[in-house]
Amino acid sequence: MSERCWLALVDAVPPTADASAALRTPDGAPAGWLAAWLQGSKPVRAARRADPRIVDPDGAAAAISLVLPDRAALTIFDDPAVQGARRAVLADAEPADLVTTLLIDASHFAGSLTARRGPNAVALLRDDPFRRVSPATLLFVDGGLLGTVPPPVGPVIERHGSDVPWPGGRFPAI
Amino acid sequence: MSIQPNDTFPDIVALDHAGRSRSLSELAAGDPLVLTTFRGFWCPKEQAFMRRLVAFQDEVEVAYSSVVSLSVDPPEVTAAFRAGLGARWTFLADPEREYLDALDLREHTDTVHHPYRPAVFVLTPDLVVRSAYNGYWYWGRPGLDELRTDLREVTRAIRADWNVPV
Repeated sequence: MSERCWLALVDAVPPTADASAALRTPDGAPAGWLAAWLQGSKPVRAARRADPRIVDPDGAAAAISLVLPDRAALTIFDDPAVQGARRAVLADAEPADLVTTLLIDASHFAGSLTARRGPNAVALLRDDPFRRVSPATLLFVDGGLLGTVPPPVGPVIERHGSDVPWPGGRFPAI
Repeated sequence: MSIQPNDTFPDIVALDHAGRSRSLSELAAGDPLVLTTFRGFWCPKEQAFMRRLVAFQDEVEVAYSSVVSLSVDPPEVTAAFRAGLGARWTFLADPEREYLDALDLREHTDTVHHPYRPAVFVLTPDLVVRSAYNGYWYWGRPGLDELRTDLREVTRAIRADWNVPV
């Protein structure tokens, strides 16, 4: 697997994507597609980097909370509000099926994606800690894109390298 | 206590506080790991020590190290204890006492509930024991400065850039 993963909201299935799935709003209206690329270079202008572990072409449908702040008004990743959101993710007694922060550079919080499944998914996503940083959009994503990633062990809130989307990554062993 | 420094800690697999199966090696994930075993939420000694660890997590959270706590309490009980403490690390549950004897950590004074005897292990990412503390008597547990020292030594050993290249 590539060490880099890119995610983007797109209007149609991109032929170059490694995985993609249709999105719907809570009232069932089509909301485009969420696509993922596992490659080093940025595939489309709107793409933001995510934890590669989230991509699973065999993954089931899920509800997602997508935080996508405007690129012109990003908060720095080390801002206390973003730190607090990361702490809240770790403190959650019912961890999400996956969570990844999104990056466009080594300094800023460029959003987050949180996915949940099950009967309480929507209610729990309305408490997405990252929506305290920037507004979140609740959507439903079809199967074929998102897997399940074990929750972080805790309590580390730092990135394993400033260009690695939290909570993924690890330092190389000696 | 059977497990001693330089031993390799068994890669146990248990349910976490959310009921998901986790292995110790997966949880270590390349970072130093502090593993604590504790009698249960009801024990005043455990409550006192856990409060110290909760204070410590404000350092650990920026220091690329992990904490895991193991008891015989079932996941829903550990989840409630964890939430009440404000802990942000993983709690493991061994309600079937699967590892009590294998780890030689059966609390012999409680012949009714058979909890874990309190202990603290500082492990390398590949689960080699750097330090082992027998917490049967409260003062056998490490102080936070001892944990800092242990974690410094493990980190120094596993990070190639400990001495920052110039």
